[in-house]
Amino acid sequence: MTPSPEARPEETDMELIKRWKAGDGRAATRLVGRHSQALARFAASAGEREEIEELVQDTFVRAFASLDSFRGESSLRTWLFTIERRLMLDRRRAERRSRETVPVEESDHVSEYGALDSMIAEEAQEKVRKSLEALSPTQREVFTLRVQQGLSYKEIAVVVGSTEGAARVHYHHAIQTVKEFLRDE
Amino acid sequence: MNKCTELDIQEMLPDLLHGKLDAEARPRVEAHVASCEECTEELEVLRTVKSASVFIPAIDVDRVVRQIPPYRMIVPAAQAPARSRVVSWLVAASLAVVVLGGGSLLMIQQKPSAQRDVVIHDRPDQQGATSRLMLPKRVPTVAQKPPVVLEPHPHALAMATGVDGLSDGNLRQLMNDMNGFDALPTTEPEPVISVDNGDGLDQGSR
Repeated sequence: MTPSPEARPEETDMELIKRWKAGDGRAATRLVGRHSQALARFAASAGEREEIEELVQDTFVRAFASLDSFRGESSLRTWLFTIERRLMLDRRRAERRSRETVPVEESDHVSEYGALDSMIAEEAQEKVRKSLEALSPTQREVFTLRVQQGLSYKEIAVVVGSTEGAARVHYHHAIQTVKEFLRDE
Repeated sequence: MNKCTELDIQEMLPDLLHGKLDAEARPRVEAHVASCEECTEELEVLRTVKSASVFIPAIDVDRVVRQIPPYRMIVPAAQAPARSRVVSWLVAASLAVVVLGGGSLLMIQQKPSAQRDVVIHDRPDQQGATSRLMLPKRVPTVAQKPPVVLEPHPHALAMATGVDGLSDGNLRQLMNDMNGFDALPTTEPEPVISVDNGDGLDQGSR
């Protein structure tokens, strides 16, 4: 019995993109299925409170609309994270304008985590949540991309629009903060 | 707790957590973690953080895919700017043709009126060169040495100040040149006021 195209685990993202461009809609399903949960996790970790599915959907729609500009210099997932992060920043700017509040950097990472209350039940995870709240938005992004997504510093630098060295520094400060926070609890 | 001195290995802990280490690095990192209290603690923290966000909303893949237009629908949109550039150039070229054409028509319409006005250009230059007269040939009467300066029409081609500076000889030469003109005006010229100051130049030139 011949395996269906969807069942071929060895198929790379680039091959799936090629198939999708050739008119195979199943390739898009496979790509979305492969990366959607990671995008949702990144959004939740970065503090998105609601409409995460819409955010993931918008990310894919934008990504597929501009796939011709994807050169494969980074992985597709890294590229998707970059798009999703920009969308999240746009959302936050829109929210800021609607709230008309000035102290953005400090207030956001406190309020953004309210929705995680329902997500994290266990005590240890609650501690982690609080420790992540203590991080700056950039530190939190770098830390979650490194720890939860397993991205390299090079990939993280692409996503957050920074340098590899800066990503290392952000991660170093973040892990120290989290460890100290958990130690003190 | 002992401070870890193997920072390069400590940096690889997230990679160990995600199974991204190769066959050579993995046993080295695992061996270090087993002997390093700080890295053991850090790896435990990383495990906790990694599992802390497992409660995320499920994504309906089919719903997401339905929102993605097929590639053939996206490609024309991507090429739209090139087409619009061509259209822009065509519009610009059309506008240029209209403007040039309209301008030419206006100039053609204004030209006869310009010819109607008598404008004498003219003072001699330093070498005493012959002055030029811009005047249709079949003008009934022409002021040869006008005591009254003819005011040029605003649209006329003004070449000089007048004939005041011309000597009698030059004026005669001008009149002789005028007799040699054989071009006919395209329209009937307006009558020009004749100024006869009685100096007899008119007869003298014939």
